[in-house]
Amino acid sequence: MSVPHQDIKPRGSAPAASVKPFQIRGRYFTAVALRPEDGPLDQAFYAALDAQLRWSPQFFDGAPLILDLAQAPGLNRPAEIRALTDSLRSRDLAVFGVQNATPEQAAAAEDAGLIALSSGKDAPLNTGPGTRREIPKKLRPPENVLITRPVRSGQTVVAEGGDLVVVGPVSSGAELIARGSIHVYGRLRGRAMAGAEGDESARIFCRSLDAELLAVAGLYRTSENLEPELLNRPVQVFLQDGRLCVEALG
Amino acid sequence: MSKDLKLEEPLGRVIVVTSGKGGVGKTTTSAAVGAELARRGHKTVVIDFDVGLRNLDMIMGCERRVVFDFINVIQGDAKLKQALIRDRRLENLAVLPTSQTRDKDALTKDGVEKVLDELRQEFDYIICDSPAGIERGAQMAMHFADEAIVVTNPEVSSVRDSDRVLGLLNSITERASKAGAEPVKAQVLITRHDKARIDSGEMMTVEDVLEVLAVPLLGIIPESAAVLRASNLGVPVVLDDPSAAAAAYEDAVGRLIGEQIEMRIAADPRRGLLQRLFRRAV
Repeated sequence: MSVPHQDIKPRGSAPAASVKPFQIRGRYFTAVALRPEDGPLDQAFYAALDAQLRWSPQFFDGAPLILDLAQAPGLNRPAEIRALTDSLRSRDLAVFGVQNATPEQAAAAEDAGLIALSSGKDAPLNTGPGTRREIPKKLRPPENVLITRPVRSGQTVVAEGGDLVVVGPVSSGAELIARGSIHVYGRLRGRAMAGAEGDESARIFCRSLDAELLAVAGLYRTSENLEPELLNRPVQVFLQDGRLCVEALG
Repeated sequence: MSKDLKLEEPLGRVIVVTSGKGGVGKTTTSAAVGAELARRGHKTVVIDFDVGLRNLDMIMGCERRVVFDFINVIQGDAKLKQALIRDRRLENLAVLPTSQTRDKDALTKDGVEKVLDELRQEFDYIICDSPAGIERGAQMAMHFADEAIVVTNPEVSSVRDSDRVLGLLNSITERASKAGAEPVKAQVLITRHDKARIDSGEMMTVEDVLEVLAVPLLGIIPESAAVLRASNLGVPVVLDDPSAAAAAYEDAVGRLIGEQIEMRIAADPRRGLLQRLFRRAV
């Protein structure tokens, strides 16, 4: 299953009128696309879907979802599509449309209360959507955050999508949060939380340790229980066998 | 007045004196820096942003001459010229006192901006004496600043609060929100520097303070009885009798306006016990 972010622009055309009781505006928003492979929608399919949902529940929570039928031309019976729609909705997935549908699939989807979005409708003969879609996925820039000035008391810096690199000191009372690892080229006096979404391979690196709190994937240590011989030294912090290890570097 | 001496456009530089923590010497510094700038011939005004806790006019020795204040001007009840108090000792120095009866909610962004814009037309330096804390009064005092003097004592809580304030200077000021604008130029002024207490480990060293704050050092003002004496007399410390604190403020102002002055840590000579007893007896 792939979950590319998809921007969808509903087509709205306003009738010409000078005074209107409403406004019509183009609106972009992000939806999740679920692309079933060509195969039976059996237990295995739903089990894999449930596993995915358990793994990143907040990602899907309330997100609008469309069915991308590019890889499943066989999925065209109204009953099948209706059953799939119902089971997705029963998992709190807000499915509202299909894309890359054949005319037959579009009709079946409409029957199930879904709208057919234009990207597939205009190109029923499009045989290579896969390759076209791979390119932006590969070129998506890494979502790391780089800070080149001091992070001061009371400030919070978050790298939601990747690593956080700070070139400068981090003051006591400041907070660093990253989905990936945290690198501090300076003295770390504040709090650092790496692997904020549960990534146990995330690490914290700093040039001089004087932190108030260090955490990786939810396991934390406060300054109180850091070995005094590690203070003011370059260290790395990582998880090993479910323990948070702080180790001097070089 | 020196109308005829006004040959060039005023500089119109807004400098906030701020700290986060209270009691570290913001008002003393505002008064001393303002007076020293004026003595060097720069047209200077000092504004009290501590609405409700009016102190600046006392330290500047003009509390008996307050008729209208900053808040009256913001609310349009008085003209700026009516509220400005010209110093009797230095013709280039003026004070804009604040209200003792109102609170900080009376400060509006538009009102402050209007008053500062008007002051920029006349003065070279506009010193904003910030209240303690990081709430509305302090935020208004720093909002339109071009430069900041962050006053800090060499002790942990004061330094941490100053660090917080430096963060705010980088994030909520007009210069921080305008794309492409130079950030507020912040410098730290260490006050109440007491060598004996630093040597005994009771207080942080200058190096420790600078390592945490990571901004340039404007000056080091020694702990001095002259500062308290001057405040009680209503005289900015630089205008009172010569003292180590006054000399340090003079150096700091020199650096503020771009002079290269070597950093020195002075202290008043300590009188021996016998001398002190002798003085008291006289």
